[in-house]
Amino acid sequence: MALREVSLTIPRGRITAVIGPNGAGKSTLFGLVLGFLRPTSGDVTIEDSEPRHYVHEHGVGYISERFSLPPGWPVDRAIAALGGLNGLPPSRIDETLGSFGLSEHRHKSVGSLSRGLLQRLGLAQAFAARRDLIVLDEPAIGLDPEWRIKLRDCMTAQRDEGRTVLLASHDLDEVERIADTIIMLEAGAVKDILDTAGSHTATGFRIQLAHVFARVSDIFPDAVVDGASFSTTVRDAEDLNNRLAALIDIGGRIVGVTPDTARLEDRVRRELDT
Amino acid sequence: MKGTLALAWLELYTRRRRIAALLLFGLLYLIGALTVRAVGIGEHGQVEPDALQNFGGYPLVSAFLLLGWSIGRYPLVIILVLVGGLFSTDAYAGYARLYAATRVRLITLYGFRLALLMVVAFVMSSVLLPIFDFIILGKLSSPQLLVLVGCYILVFGSITALFSVFTRADAWCTLFAWITAMIWAALGRGGFVTNVPDAVVQGITVVLPPQHALNAIEDAFGNVMPTPWGAVLYVCMYAALMLLVSGYLLSRREI
Repeated sequence: MALREVSLTIPRGRITAVIGPNGAGKSTLFGLVLGFLRPTSGDVTIEDSEPRHYVHEHGVGYISERFSLPPGWPVDRAIAALGGLNGLPPSRIDETLGSFGLSEHRHKSVGSLSRGLLQRLGLAQAFAARRDLIVLDEPAIGLDPEWRIKLRDCMTAQRDEGRTVLLASHDLDEVERIADTIIMLEAGAVKDILDTAGSHTATGFRIQLAHVFARVSDIFPDAVVDGASFSTTVRDAEDLNNRLAALIDIGGRIVGVTPDTARLEDRVRRELDT
Repeated sequence: MKGTLALAWLELYTRRRRIAALLLFGLLYLIGALTVRAVGIGEHGQVEPDALQNFGGYPLVSAFLLLGWSIGRYPLVIILVLVGGLFSTDAYAGYARLYAATRVRLITLYGFRLALLMVVAFVMSSVLLPIFDFIILGKLSSPQLLVLVGCYILVFGSITALFSVFTRADAWCTLFAWITAMIWAALGRGGFVTNVPDAVVQGITVVLPPQHALNAIEDAFGNVMPTPWGAVLYVCMYAALMLLVSGYLLSRREI
């Protein structure tokens, strides 16, 4: 898929997710960022360098969509080779295999691994060398729930250590949980850019009251009231509890609190419908 | 460098079945040579066509000549089998993108791999061909044989590497180029291109693999003449040019 009129800045030290339907141009965008593809017009730079130059100078942690390796390669040698190309010292190979649950599979051939194990091998080689830029194209494919959680923790840990993570995913819940910036692509164009930095702990809730209560906005100024219920956003759990206590103090009677979890999905639906 | 070495080792490991098959293929030649020697040894300790003629008639002599000609192409066969898919397979399977996301340049990575595969091809050919000659002739070959083997490997390894930048049919394209060059060289030797403008003849000769130079080296070896170093230099320059073009195109192409 060709991209057109795409102008983006991917902030350093944050998780930027690219979402969009199949064929929207996500992998093409990654190909341009990494210098695999060359733009027919315009330019792409990473820290003021041409992408290939940056990659050769610094290396990039990268896992491709549908990651695979020659099936005859032994797992440990694959990590040694791919990690070695990106500066991973041999002393850290065992640690890397252990971190991704591959120690017991180290002597197996790549071709004998299940899809989930193969994906973990791909993630291991992407994260092992601790590059400043990590590009993950559909990294959760084939992972079981446990490893999806570990992947999320791994990505947030990279961000917390100051690395930049660029992620493509179809898992909107996952993206909403961890991404600081969300780029929506459709048909090769940027549909929207959502800046969600700092809002991961600010959770949306729908609060059901026993009856219509006129003073809701005294406590929740941003509340969107709909009869006896309202939607609101708070900073964190403590903020929520404090405000609910204040609401009760002024006479509000609460019968239900529901996390509003599908905001990104609703947004995507709206964007794609327009 | 460690990663490049580890990857090169994996390259050989991945191609171990090809190498084993090539060794078996070479073994067939040695068995053929031993068979011919058993039935056609002459009074000077070497295989004599007359003795073969007496034993098996014209078909046996033809088989012997074919055996001798085709063993001379063994370096070509090895290099096609080993170097085929050098880059094109990785590009098709997506492995090249993984390598391209590292600090090692693709030209370094694939250059190192190609050099390693050429060394393997040279070692295998340099062991098999002298043994074959020893069985047939009853004496050791001259070191010129190694020059001939090296020239074949340089030329066709570099051409295969160039085709590999573009197509998965790299080995087939090299084979086609070699056959075309053989025919062209034969036409030249037979005087069939005398009416073709000289510039066209020169142009085609330069573009095609340098079969005339390889033939000159092979003839010198076969006739126990001094090595034509001019032809060797031409072959080396041709291979160097192919490698330079391959490297440039590899560094410029999209992955």
